[in-house]
Amino acid sequence: MSSEIAAGPAGQPQSAVERLHVAGLHGPTGAVLSVRDLNVSFNTENGVVHAVRGVDFDLLPGKTLGIVGESGSGKSVTSLAIMGLLPATAEISGSVRLHGKELLGLSDKAMCAYRGNELSMVFQDPLSSLTPVYTVGTQIVEALAIHNHGMSKQAKEARAVELLAMVGIPSPKDRLKAFPHEFSGGMRQRVMIAIAIANNPRVLIADEPTTALDVTIQAQVLEVLHAAQEETGAAVVMITHDLGVVAGMADDIMVMYAGKPVETGAVEDIYYNPRMPYTMGLLGAVPRVDVAEKSSLVPIEGIPPNLIHTPAGCSFAPRCPLASEACLDGEPALAPVAGSTLHRAACIKSGSLGGDVDVHDVFSAPPVPVSSFDAIPREDRTTVLQLKDVRKHFPLTKGALLKRRIGTVKAVDGLSFDIREGECFSIVGESGSGKTTTLLEIMEFHKDQDGEVVIGGLSNKQAADARTKSAMRRELQMVFQDPTGALDPRFTVYEVLAEPLQNAGMDRQAIKKRIMELMKLVGLQPDHVNRFPNQFSGGQRQRIGIARALAVNPKLVVLDEPVSALDVSVQAGVINLLDKLRAELGLSYLLVAHDLSVVRHISNRVAVMYLGKIVEIGEVDRVFDNPRHPYTRALLSAIPVPDPRLERTRERIILRGDLPSPLDAPKGCNFATRCPVFAALPAAKQEKCLTLEPPLEPVVPSAAAQALAAGPLPALDQGFACFFPDGELDEDMLVVHDPADRHAP
Amino acid sequence: MTNLNAVDPAAVAQDAHLENADVIIGKNTIIFRRFLRNRTAVAGLVIFLALTIFSFVGGYLTQWDKETIDPFNIGMPPSAEHYLGTSQAGIDLYAMTVEGTRISILIGLVVGLVSVLIAAVYGCTMAYFGGKVDKVMLFVLEALIMMPALLVVAVATSGGGAGLKRDLPSWLLLIIVLLVFSWMGTARLIRSLSMSLMQRDYVKAAQYMGVPPRRIVWRHLVPNIGSLLVLDVTRGVTGAILAEVAFSFIGIGIKVPDVSLGVLIGGATSQVQTFPWMFWVPLTVMFLLTGSLAMMNDGLRDAFDPSSSSSGTARKRKALKNRAERNAP
Repeated sequence: MSSEIAAGPAGQPQSAVERLHVAGLHGPTGAVLSVRDLNVSFNTENGVVHAVRGVDFDLLPGKTLGIVGESGSGKSVTSLAIMGLLPATAEISGSVRLHGKELLGLSDKAMCAYRGNELSMVFQDPLSSLTPVYTVGTQIVEALAIHNHGMSKQAKEARAVELLAMVGIPSPKDRLKAFPHEFSGGMRQRVMIAIAIANNPRVLIADEPTTALDVTIQAQVLEVLHAAQEETGAAVVMITHDLGVVAGMADDIMVMYAGKPVETGAVEDIYYNPRMPYTMGLLGAVPRVDVAEKSSLVPIEGIPPNLIHTPAGCSFAPRCPLASEACLDGEPALAPVAGSTLHRAACIKSGSLGGDVDVHDVFSAPPVPVSSFDAIPREDRTTVLQLKDVRKHFPLTKGALLKRRIGTVKAVDGLSFDIREGECFSIVGESGSGKTTTLLEIMEFHKDQDGEVVIGGLSNKQAADARTKSAMRRELQMVFQDPTGALDPRFTVYEVLAEPLQNAGMDRQAIKKRIMELMKLVGLQPDHVNRFPNQFSGGQRQRIGIARALAVNPKLVVLDEPVSALDVSVQAGVINLLDKLRAELGLSYLLVAHDLSVVRHISNRVAVMYLGKIVEIGEVDRVFDNPRHPYTRALLSAIPVPDPRLERTRERIILRGDLPSPLDAPKGCNFATRCPVFAALPAAKQEKCLTLEPPLEPVVPSAAAQALAAGPLPALDQGFACFFPDGELDEDMLVVHDPADRHAP
Repeated sequence: MTNLNAVDPAAVAQDAHLENADVIIGKNTIIFRRFLRNRTAVAGLVIFLALTIFSFVGGYLTQWDKETIDPFNIGMPPSAEHYLGTSQAGIDLYAMTVEGTRISILIGLVVGLVSVLIAAVYGCTMAYFGGKVDKVMLFVLEALIMMPALLVVAVATSGGGAGLKRDLPSWLLLIIVLLVFSWMGTARLIRSLSMSLMQRDYVKAAQYMGVPPRRIVWRHLVPNIGSLLVLDVTRGVTGAILAEVAFSFIGIGIKVPDVSLGVLIGGATSQVQTFPWMFWVPLTVMFLLTGSLAMMNDGLRDAFDPSSSSSGTARKRKALKNRAERNAP
């Protein structure tokens, strides 16, 4: 059974007061939290912003509600309003009832009795949500002490240990005395969850709890949240922008747009049978890690509306490809979809939409661009970048006066790869695996590097004089992760784009011409050059960043997480643009990304890095469909897929712990400490992993394939570094959610 | 800076439209609006401007000047002939105050502006190059902080700088000495601020493009610490005015026959009982001057601070409208 969303008999115009009345008397029995007609508005320089406009939902115990939407859609404001954590300048109206008790309008002091006790929250950024000057034990005990006055000191400590054990922190008793900085991000998020569930809350609100974490850690934390929910029986509100994350967890989904819920329903209704064009667009905008077929992503054009002016018609109409005259006539109410009572959509055309409508047709996704290089075999293309045995080791020293070397951080340890013309090469791995250091080694090439970096035929060993250096620089440009940080806020777009051109010594007239070309190339209006970066949306800023990188016609563009800071719908547009530019201009990309779905979508070849080494490399479809290294397998299984049925039955490898600290890095195989194969190996074979370092070896075609071809086949474009790629996986590290089990009380 | 407006008039129209549409508000507009919302700051600005204008045109409102002695009015209280009275020597106090205010404001503005400029360039350079350059420049800075400024000022303006004194007017000498000792604190602040700016991607982007360091410091770092610089200018001006007053008061700053507020206050301390106007008038002017700057500083800080609680005017307008509606029926 699924919890019910939205209140009152729909279709009838009701005043807010009437609805509140109905909610108070006839709210579904048993709902822990019921929110009715929640409205929040803020004062800004531009006027009153209506951040949340009429949110209704009921949350039943033990159920999970996923709230999905782009940034600025009012998800977080809704959660903060429920918690009573909004600043005093916010105007809140409506009703939030916890077990029938009204929470809105309570004083801050009165709210404290609920916060952390019956209502609790897990925040997005684990790095800043714990106080650095107290031990985690103190902070957990504090949460217990506030709401349990009678509890003895021993009891509190015992409970703290129990909580830490529950969220999967090893040796919890000792870790109680550790300070937050001694924990990694994932561990801190676990501590946050432990604090949140300390008093057995009835409602747990998780606001993007895994956005700041790596995929492997994300899988762990989601698992902990799941366990915590089962343990406490709390209802969970899960706020996220990632449709994959909630697919496996949520029972119900509420899609928000422009401060209003635009579609609500059971998780399967939303994913398989979306009735609102916005939901369809969101689903089509996400690249899938488990699908090899290449099709363009669905970009949702335009930007979310300004919430200062109440939209006259459907708030999504300006961006909706199906919008007609009728859509501009009044905002559509959330109405039940034909054939279902719980599935509601705020669209006048919801009847004609459904699971069978192809989202690519609705949003007219661009055709897949074809590069002229695609036809040429890889061996025949020229090499634009080559790395030969590049190393970057940082000494680790101790002692203030006499520095003693106690170890070496091998950030990059013997990296070799090459990138050919017109191809996209990606590096993936957890944070700390050396991806960024690799990029820095390439971008900040110099003569004294350990290893060789060859850019466009020029080696870093020759880069002594300024001329060779600038010739190499011209071949190589970079696009940064944060589009806002990468543009000087005091430069107009013209100045931003002119900087590399002036530096290349172009005259003013030529610069103007080139800038107009660039603006058109990246899909921006050429007459926007006099604007400042803050007058553009995130996606447009990233386009400016791309235009700047392309200004001097480089051969290779280094992309450092180019879309991770963008919203899903905008991300699709930027990915499509990158795809198009690669095909049209014959560019090569070196992409670093943690989102493997994006990597699979855009790249031709991929390298998986772990602790400074490449553990698997090869053609992207080969590596993703047939991963050989256990780490690659774990990474791939950790990525949530926006497909609830698949997600619930998928087998997932949960890696234990975090990246090992470089001090106790294993002697043999780096990965041995977390390897699921290693854990299941007999001791004799484990010895080999611990003492020998596995080399990166190409995959040879199987004996059967060789026999079929009658003769030696050329080696496949895939290599990995593991002795026992076909070993059994340790069962403890495998997690499969049984669909029957999750709905048990 | 290149302006493309000449090329594409359509863009101008579009921009103008956007400005009017009230959707995109420039940062400067927001800062200006916030500043205007702070009544105290606006009052400070008005007082400061009024004093500046007074110091320049005030001299034309009286027939007396700071050197002419009126032998018929020696040590007289304010009267119709001498608006603010005369000194013991029979010199018109109004004329002297005008002159003194001008010198004080001049010293304040020059020292405030130039020292912040020096600090900005010095601090940014330190942060940009880092390493050895940073160490050496930091050493110079620390050494200057250690120097006893008071002694150096005393030596430069009295005995030691006899040659200098001959060539330069005393106010210029004081400006130079104050400048040498006033920029270090700001420079250190700017160094740490720029170091964090150095981590920004746009600085990295410029480096990867091969933009020369000098240009990065001047085009990316200095403008981006602008808000801090503006604050430091007002603070620096106040500091310089107070320093001038203090130095002149103890007799090592501006020397007679040059007049400044400090000289006037210093000279009148012994006569508070007998000629009170000689003391209170320049003191009041000084308070107005430094006070107005302090009031402005407060408003500027509020305006530049992105986390400031200064919220939009929408609420006020709405409240007014609501009240009007309630009153109407």
